Amino acid sequence: MEFDFSPVITYFPTLARGIGATLLIAVVVALLSVLGGQLVAVISIFTRKAVSWPLRFFIWLFMTTPLLLQLYFLYFGIGEWILIPAVAVGVLGLGFHYMAYNADIFIATIKSVSHGQYEASRSLGFGHLATLFYIILPQAFYRAVPQLGNNMIIMVKDTSVLSAIGIAELVYRSQYAISVTFRPFEFYITIAAIYYLINVLMESGQYWFERRAANRR
Amino acid sequence: MTAATDTPMVELKGVKKRFGALEVLKGIDLKVDRGKIISIIGPSGSGKSTLLRSINNLEEIDEGRILLDGVQVNRPDLKGLAFERHINHIRQNMGMVFQHFNLFPHLSTLENVTLAPRKLKGMDAGSARELGMELLERVGLADKASVYPSALSGGQKQRVAIARALAMRPKVMLFDEATSALDPELVEEVNQVMKRLAEEHMTMLIVTHEMAFARDVSDWAMFMDGGVVVEENTPAHLFTHPDHERTRHFLRKHLGNQPQTQPHG
Repeated sequence: MEFDFSPVITYFPTLARGIGATLLIAVVVALLSVLGGQLVAVISIFTRKAVSWPLRFFIWLFMTTPLLLQLYFLYFGIGEWILIPAVAVGVLGLGFHYMAYNADIFIATIKSVSHGQYEASRSLGFGHLATLFYIILPQAFYRAVPQLGNNMIIMVKDTSVLSAIGIAELVYRSQYAISVTFRPFEFYITIAAIYYLINVLMESGQYWFERRAANRR
Repeated sequence: MTAATDTPMVELKGVKKRFGALEVLKGIDLKVDRGKIISIIGPSGSGKSTLLRSINNLEEIDEGRILLDGVQVNRPDLKGLAFERHINHIRQNMGMVFQHFNLFPHLSTLENVTLAPRKLKGMDAGSARELGMELLERVGLADKASVYPSALSGGQKQRVAIARALAMRPKVMLFDEATSALDPELVEEVNQVMKRLAEEHMTMLIVTHEMAFARDVSDWAMFMDGGVVVEENTPAHLFTHPDHERTRHFLRKHLGNQPQTQPHG
């Protein structure tokens, strides 16, 4: 058989909308999962068991079950009672999933900041929360960057799973184009290259940030 | 927080502290007048570091009273957030310097110094920078203002830590074995900074293993062992004619020859 990429060019505007959706979802999920991950980590470290144990259970639940199952559960399961828009389910599902993974990292890096840092800050007159905010969390964040970066790269690829609940991201759009043009190879090769490109960009961003973080810990 | 000038800057009355079953401070009384420099010496485990840390409540005492410029530091009557507000306010008047520096590695040297005045006193960026540069100048590190702590030597780190503590304009400075973690050749530069503070009549409490430094710089010296003050006197007296055998024994081991191992508090 012969390759013919002209349908890809014809349908590139369709793919471009998919790329836009993928990137937008990825950015929102990254913010949600990183900020939420820090919050979950802080609460699970610094509060009493009645609060922290349910949170640890939440982390454990999201880390031990498949993402696709979690999305189906939120969309079709809970959808029996309340119909949540697919985009909201997608962003929240993916967001919670990676929030759990990121929280796990932050719990480790927050605990790795030495107690001397806490004491130095308190001795200047900073309170407990101010110390967390100005001293502990920034250092924990720098230490978390390598693993966070890896998680976020996996997350971008996982946005493709959202096509299963009908979100028009890159894979979903390409499937539509394939159904019209009957050119699966060309489209799959193209979107594979697009994911590859996004991840190469993210890796170089991560590399830049890690170098910046290296002399700050 | 003003008081009559004859109020001691720091006063401890019957301070007791236990770690579980072990009593590490067995009723300590101490008065430090403003502008005076007190050295506290003693073997490891004598309670000297615990005593210093108690003064700004990094260790909570079990009994007794601690006063800073007439204001009580330990307040068993205050709980939770009320106590936190109280102690945060008190601590702004006390500078603490730690054995292991504890500089904030994610902040530049200048930011280490200016963080507290900016966030706690609401100082604007310009004045904070001015203050920070002036303090870095005083410890001889103005040229390192934009550098991160990981690029500094131990002695430089400790000098920045002193500048950081001074940035809140404290009434008293607490030094917890400030030179114990330093390579021998870096000790002198930190001692010089502390000597200059002494000349400027900063009230200072110094826990140290540097006997020669303690003898030269302080107005009063205390020897602690087993959670009690064994004896206290002028440094001239304490270091040359100690009254107690335990003090003599300790000084024989520490004066003249370098300690063989890195001392720990």
